[in-house]
Amino acid sequence: MRFWGMFRFTIGEALRKGTIIFYFAVATSFLVFFALGIGHSSNDRDMVTIFGAPFGHQSQPGMNVIDFLLIQLHSSSVFWIILFGIFGIAGLIPRMLEKGTIDLFLSKPLTRAELLMARALGAVSGIAVNLIYFFLGIWLIFGLKLGVWHWGFLSSVVYVVYAFVCFFSVVTIVGLITRSAGISIMLAFAFSIISWGLELRENGLYRLWNNVVYHRLLDAIYYLTPQLDAMLDNSSRAIGKNPIVPYPAEFTFMPYLYSFFSTALLYGLSVWYFSRQDY
Amino acid sequence: MEVLQTVDLSKHYRSGLFIRKNIVALEKVSLSIEQGEIFGLLGPNGAGKTTFVKLLLSIAHPTSGTATVLGHPLGQRALKEHCGYLPESHRYPGFLTALDTLIFFGRLNGLPESVLKDKAKSLLDMVGLKDWAKVKTRKFSKGMLQRLGLAQALVNDPKLLFLDEPTDGIDPIGRKEIRDLLLRLKGEGTTIFLNSHLLSEVEMMCDRVAILNKGKVVRTGTISELTTQKLSYSIQLSAPVTEELRVRLNQSHFSLEFKDTSLTVTLKDKSELNSIIDTLRADGIGIEGMTQQKTSLEDYFIQLVKGENEL
Repeated sequence: MRFWGMFRFTIGEALRKGTIIFYFAVATSFLVFFALGIGHSSNDRDMVTIFGAPFGHQSQPGMNVIDFLLIQLHSSSVFWIILFGIFGIAGLIPRMLEKGTIDLFLSKPLTRAELLMARALGAVSGIAVNLIYFFLGIWLIFGLKLGVWHWGFLSSVVYVVYAFVCFFSVVTIVGLITRSAGISIMLAFAFSIISWGLELRENGLYRLWNNVVYHRLLDAIYYLTPQLDAMLDNSSRAIGKNPIVPYPAEFTFMPYLYSFFSTALLYGLSVWYFSRQDY
Repeated sequence: MEVLQTVDLSKHYRSGLFIRKNIVALEKVSLSIEQGEIFGLLGPNGAGKTTFVKLLLSIAHPTSGTATVLGHPLGQRALKEHCGYLPESHRYPGFLTALDTLIFFGRLNGLPESVLKDKAKSLLDMVGLKDWAKVKTRKFSKGMLQRLGLAQALVNDPKLLFLDEPTDGIDPIGRKEIRDLLLRLKGEGTTIFLNSHLLSEVEMMCDRVAILNKGKVVRTGTISELTTQKLSYSIQLSAPVTEELRVRLNQSHFSLEFKDTSLTVTLKDKSELNSIIDTLRADGIGIEGMTQQKTSLEDYFIQLVKGENEL
């Protein structure tokens, strides 16, 4: 009851601040654009067109054009969708900590762990609903207009939402420590770049300094933080085999498993830190 | 029955990034509050009044010492279930109406959904915001937010109510209404813990007060215990004191003030009073009345804090 009270309030706060509504509006515009633009070629029923122009069939020989289109769409948009989602809700944790607000919340019969988790869950739920709406919309458009009900694409939203929840753990702990939405957003962006760098560390960061300790340190950071880049890449592999990604193209659960532990660790550290603070 | 008891409760903060400085916010504060009383905690800015309440509600953690509130050790959920709190600076979500704000805080207190709306409406009526129930709180004045804050603190029918500057920003009529409301709650058995700078208000409402200075309790007592000057008397005489007698009395090192047929004396020892009376009567001046001097709480507070700070 108390937990859900704070959860509902957080969703309400995100809605009233316009964040989620803006997000919803952008997603809807994209869906409308897609619904109007996509179709079959009148000459070749196997060819997909976007506003009349044939799409990608020749450029990727041997690949299903729908898979290719969905992977392209997924790969090019999902990182930005997640990043904008973080921009939208990064302020919810620092806002809870403002003087005059936190005093009221902590005086209520709610543990600090419940308070923080209700807040974090409320924040990610608002974005998760939008992500599901967006993916479901694309899936329906493809089903209704092209007759392709691509379950792989629909299932990929689960991995994207999961990646978002993991990513938000970084924003949560940064927001708790810095009490600043701006710094949380900047560090979230920096983390997304670091995550990409760590994913490619064997061919990149390792070469900067040929030292075993340095290499193991990079490995430790990689495994102790959510593997955002790997999770997002993998989510596109749920759609189909992706020949445009150079590294192993098979779907694997490993990044999700590692990220589960690192996310649990970060949320755990957040609760521990929050519980020890004086406000 | 004691509803609140603290034993040597201390809070030290550390500040500074490189050179850590220890700041004492509270030092071994021991207080106890009885059920049904209005207890006032007074002190200058930075004395530690708000910190004390924050420790009791686990908004901050004590460095040392122990406390029980309503029989529960600090930090227990059951403790907060029966406490209400109006912080000094409180911020309400501006996108919620007054009614929704109370419903939200009712939910956080674990009130069942079925009673939330009616409870919120009756509280808004109680604090004089009935006509503002559907207005968003961002449009509220400071006084209205203060009333809403009070309603929020009462949403769970608390047994112990912590109020930090409850009449801050409220006009005199509103203050009177809040005073009446608090006295009514007291009559219903609610214990009220009041932090206030408005000493006249504390004097009017509180049964007992504690004065906090630099994190330490320097005095505790009832209003009359603190404001009665134990060794200061006003004596009404049957005739004016002659010049010769004045000189004699002054030579005896009494602190005296003469005004026609009245005499005010401040003594170091109560036995000196008999000596003065004997001297007056020996010179044929009768004693028509005598009263113990009282001071206002404000004067007492200022004298005490100034004295403490000069030490």
